[in-house]
Amino acid sequence: MAIDLDKCTGCGACAIACAQENNMPIFEDDSDIPKRVSFLELMKVTNDRDAKYPDVEVCYIPKMCQQCEGNDPKNPKPPCVSVCPVVATDVGDDGIVSQVWSRCIGCRYCQASCPYEARAFNWWKPRYEGDFKNSLNPEVSIASRGTVVKCQFCSHIWKRERDRAVENGVLDINAVTYTPACVASCPTKAFVFGDLNDPDSELCRLLEKEKDRKFRLVHTIDEKDEKTREKLMHIKNFPNPKVYYLTSKAWIREMMRFK
Amino acid sequence: MKRTILLIGIPFLLTLYFGYVISQASCNYVMANHPEKEVPFNHQTHLYKYFPAMGMSKDDCSTCHMYDENGRFTGIPTVAECTSCHDPNGPSKDAGPETALRKPFLNKYKGTDKPWGSYAKQPDLVYFSHKVVMTAQYEDGRMKARCGSCHGDKAGSRNGDMIKGKMLMGQCEDCHTALHISNKCAVCHD
Repeated sequence: MAIDLDKCTGCGACAIACAQENNMPIFEDDSDIPKRVSFLELMKVTNDRDAKYPDVEVCYIPKMCQQCEGNDPKNPKPPCVSVCPVVATDVGDDGIVSQVWSRCIGCRYCQASCPYEARAFNWWKPRYEGDFKNSLNPEVSIASRGTVVKCQFCSHIWKRERDRAVENGVLDINAVTYTPACVASCPTKAFVFGDLNDPDSELCRLLEKEKDRKFRLVHTIDEKDEKTREKLMHIKNFPNPKVYYLTSKAWIREMMRFK
Repeated sequence: MKRTILLIGIPFLLTLYFGYVISQASCNYVMANHPEKEVPFNHQTHLYKYFPAMGMSKDDCSTCHMYDENGRFTGIPTVAECTSCHDPNGPSKDAGPETALRKPFLNKYKGTDKPWGSYAKQPDLVYFSHKVVMTAQYEDGRMKARCGSCHGDKAGSRNGDMIKGKMLMGQCEDCHTALHISNKCAVCHD
């Protein structure tokens, strides 16, 4: 996935679409961010806290699970998967890091190991007020209290599309296309979703074209040269996320660099 | 010594026996489905006697159990589907196996919204499409799975009871492994 921050207006449609698609519960105090359950968060960043009017610049960064794959894409090892004691989280064939809440014992190791704070913990039993329960998405199960949940790039839509393709006799997994809720809801088309393994996909062509603008969230080794990167990868397992951000503003890139 | 056996041994064995019987009955009661619309349905006679007489195969489960649009199963047929064969004005007895009899008890359920209740249920977090599993083929055109692969010998059952023993994840996984289908969590769970 690639997100063009220059196109993003910060309207928050992606966060709302995500919450609605994935049956996010609503609690009394949802301003309590560490305890809030939401897959996609809209981070607001400014260039300088103390800047006055003409100099102040604001950028909104939609942050969801970055679907890390570790150093070796052939043997994906995201930081959250290796710490799970009950194999509740795993990397699927499509590269999406899955989370099965019924397997989760709520130890929250994965939440601690996640470099992007993309996972949420259900502190309370999900509650839906009034008629809200009638409008829940039947394809997404409601996680119980005391389990970790995370963004899976709307994998239920992928399963639906996959099954529809199989019914029509298409057995190639790469032929299945789908659009996650956040991507579909974006009014400015800032999100580009596609297959990173397919060099002909729209996403890959965009990333190839926008080499100077792309960056990944606090990924230490991206700015190092090839040799140092390889050397570092021998020492440590880096998350290597699959979500790219595009921006032309230098201060965002500077801020997102690991210092 | 004999008295000890009589006084302690026999009551102990009796308690054990009755305890076993009661616990089994209660387990069966808990596991069984208690639908609001009860139908004394005999799969065996329908599939082995009437289906061949009407020119259908006994493997034609989809005659009554159909798919939804989204590939899921509609489950138990509606009253309208039952009465499409069992004509309310048809003969009540003394007809050949090719004529469906009138079933007066179906009138009781006419126009009711009461659900049948499902006889086999997967948890909410399992994504399962019957259509995909049922259309999967080997390269030589053989089907990978039949209804009976998971539902057991339903054709031989004489009632509509739930199948004993839940459908466990191990069953799905065994089949997936044998047929070289991915066993990753995300294939079925969300």
